[in-house]
Amino acid sequence: MNEKAISALRAIFGERLKTSLEDRICYSFDATGKEFLPDAVAYPLTADEVRRTVLLANDHGFPVVPRGAGSGFSGGSLPVHGGVVLSTERMDRILSIDTENLVAVVEPGVVTGTLKEEVKKRGLFYPPDPASLKFCTVGGNLAECAGGMCAVKYGVTRDYVLGLEAVLGTGELVRTGVYTVKGVVGYDLTRMLVGSEGTLGIITKATLRLIPLPESAATILAFFGTSEQGARAVAGMVEERITPCAMELMDRTAVDCVREIASLPIPAGAGCALLIEVDGPAASVAREAGQVEEACRRFGAIEVSRAADSAGRERLWELRRSISPSIRKVNPVKINEDIVVPRSRLAEMFSFLSGLASRRDLKIVNFGHAGDGNIHVNIMISGADEDERRRAEGAVEEVFRKTVELGGTISGEHGVGIAKAPFLEMEVGPLGVSVMRRLKDCFDPNGILNPGKIFLSEPAVRP
Amino acid sequence: MSDDGLRALTGACAKCGTCRTVCTLYPERKAEISVARGKIALVEAALSGRDENAEAMQEALTDCLLCGRCERACPNHVLVEEIIMKGRADAARKAGIPAWKRVLFGGVMPSSGKRDAARGLAAAAQNLLLKKIPTGSGLHYRFPDAFGFSGRTVPKLPEKGFVASLAPGEASAGDVMLFVGCVFDHVFPAVGRASYDSMKASGRAIAVFRDAACCGLPAMVSGDWESARRCAEENVRRLLAAEPERIVFPCGSCLLMFKRNMLALIPEKHPLREDAVRVSNLCGDYASFILETGVVSRLPDPPAEGKAGEICYHDPCHLSGTLGKGSEAREVLRGAVGDAFAEIPGADVCCGYGGTFNVRDYPTSSRIGENRISIAARGGARVVSTACSGCILQLRDMAARTRPSMRVVHIAELVAGALGGR
Repeated sequence: MNEKAISALRAIFGERLKTSLEDRICYSFDATGKEFLPDAVAYPLTADEVRRTVLLANDHGFPVVPRGAGSGFSGGSLPVHGGVVLSTERMDRILSIDTENLVAVVEPGVVTGTLKEEVKKRGLFYPPDPASLKFCTVGGNLAECAGGMCAVKYGVTRDYVLGLEAVLGTGELVRTGVYTVKGVVGYDLTRMLVGSEGTLGIITKATLRLIPLPESAATILAFFGTSEQGARAVAGMVEERITPCAMELMDRTAVDCVREIASLPIPAGAGCALLIEVDGPAASVAREAGQVEEACRRFGAIEVSRAADSAGRERLWELRRSISPSIRKVNPVKINEDIVVPRSRLAEMFSFLSGLASRRDLKIVNFGHAGDGNIHVNIMISGADEDERRRAEGAVEEVFRKTVELGGTISGEHGVGIAKAPFLEMEVGPLGVSVMRRLKDCFDPNGILNPGKIFLSEPAVRP
Repeated sequence: MSDDGLRALTGACAKCGTCRTVCTLYPERKAEISVARGKIALVEAALSGRDENAEAMQEALTDCLLCGRCERACPNHVLVEEIIMKGRADAARKAGIPAWKRVLFGGVMPSSGKRDAARGLAAAAQNLLLKKIPTGSGLHYRFPDAFGFSGRTVPKLPEKGFVASLAPGEASAGDVMLFVGCVFDHVFPAVGRASYDSMKASGRAIAVFRDAACCGLPAMVSGDWESARRCAEENVRRLLAAEPERIVFPCGSCLLMFKRNMLALIPEKHPLREDAVRVSNLCGDYASFILETGVVSRLPDPPAEGKAGEICYHDPCHLSGTLGKGSEAREVLRGAVGDAFAEIPGADVCCGYGGTFNVRDYPTSSRIGENRISIAARGGARVVSTACSGCILQLRDMAARTRPSMRVVHIAELVAGALGGR
């Protein structure tokens, strides 16, 4: 970016524009561990400031990269071509919580967990619950269409968006969607923007759907001998019309990783754990919890237990949450994938993954939202061994091919960003990519918004 | 930047963002540069030579309270405090340390005699220059606006420090050593006295560590590891010569220095390493001593007329957080004041003092601190008790500024009161 562009930005943001190397370094990363230095960082407070920034960018030809909390796993907020990072963290007001219509209107920088807490105080529920909910922002969740543990019953971020306000790549401020339960006037631009990773527009306000807070919940932990057995239990329960609000699976390595730090005993033969939560009115929770326990036993669980109270539930969830940090024991560098397969194919996917690990001599830890068919495949490498890194990269491609072959998708909730961009065409095909590119041109003709994401200039991996 | 083990420490950070949820400063700054992962990214950039601006690095790394909340929340157990202190030390080597700090850390702090003299001078000066304001915790002085300290108040310095006020031969022998700390000796000698008196109730012989050097924390967090190390070495030598069975600290920050930071100052291969580890293992907090020696069980029943819930406890970050000694102080409080003690929300949120942080950004420091006082008041408290010299300095100033009737005390003062008053 040239001096003229910087001083024009300074006229908009004043002290809220940062250009020192130190400030720029602090916005060069996200949770992928990759780094790209922006030319400047700005903290907008209003949609108008965002709009004026994008207009300037069109005049001067610099990239604009929106960023929430920088907690993404696919590189969506990384300024890969420099430019200005627009950090929405100071646009963090909850503008309204409408208890008559069950609607919340928020600015993009509101922390997801904060919104959940605020609506909970009014007996309401905003279901999306990515693991980073204590720090990730609603804006980032919308841009990446974040999911979470309870997606199996309640869906993902896109299922709770009624309308948006966003600045397009042209600098125009567009309002999409409705404030009502339904609405079918014209194309669904709201859903167009959700999951677009800041490449079509920068979200400046969101109208979100809320639902009543479930009155009670029960949590069940079941251990199985193998992941395949656990996966068959998941598919079996889905077929039996049991709908838990969470259904988390941990494979043998994940179970071994938490074994020593867990506050509860893990049976010796356990090669897989399923953590299942049901919620709703107390009477139906009791019935469904019984059904879940019964089904787990029928599918060969070696041990099934139910938390007696909320403290017990918390202990069980602690087990699940401690996996992600503790798997670093296996190896320091984590290659984190986020595939989804139809639930009936889960067992097949797990067999494939264990075969892949031994065939390529890699350590792979699998856990995730099995109820959605969503597995976080974590290939753990030392980071120092070049050959191991190449084997891991090959394994990633194999995992993706198998996923698509089974009728699945290569990213359930992390987005494409830069991490999955080489594989976009593998899943959506050349026509799919072409239609997406045409849409991109329509929303952002000069390629100002978050360039280098989703698409590669040349597709690296063909179908 | 020289490695000094830093690469291994910073490499553990996954940049996940958990530190944003607990950082005391983040709600004030709303910028990534204020939180641990931002600062770690800066240290990494300095290590790899991508950022060689030592002044800017010093500025960024100094903007931190070292409350350690990020370190405790971190899923990867990244040692953030060590990274920041080492980063500050490196930046200080290149960018320098202000002259007044060099004189204070290198010249005054290691010597108890010079600290005495400095207190005398300062006491005379404040009487002449500053405006008096009475508070629930004693007389404070307010800086005139012309000094540019945004209404800062300071406690009236005493004529004599606690150690100087001891009779010759008093508290000179005993297998339990009391490490009073500079602030409880020279600024709030009543806390030193209350600690000593209440510890005597254990029936053990208590010796006050008279020729203590400063614990070294102010120097260490300012990046002056040389001066901090000199303090640590002096203390280790002098303490071992006294052959104590245990060493008791009324101040959580001094204790943190001895339990943890000292071992970074005196690393493996240092000639005093073994001695330092031995000393470190003898050190413990005031509340644990009071509990273990049965002082609490010997206290008379709290008076029935005590108002329920009028005394709260503020968790010092270093003591309750880093060292995990939060429940002991509460048990002591319940023994000393009974139902008058009640929890307030956010008792474990940092007071915003941060030592040098309070000097470099008083407006932010006081915003954070005043909030602690107003939350305590809203919870019905009339007394905030705590167990760290930094928290007391900060909270007494904050109370003097916004709510002079609020008393801020050390738990030892409540224990001594319970022993003597009833």
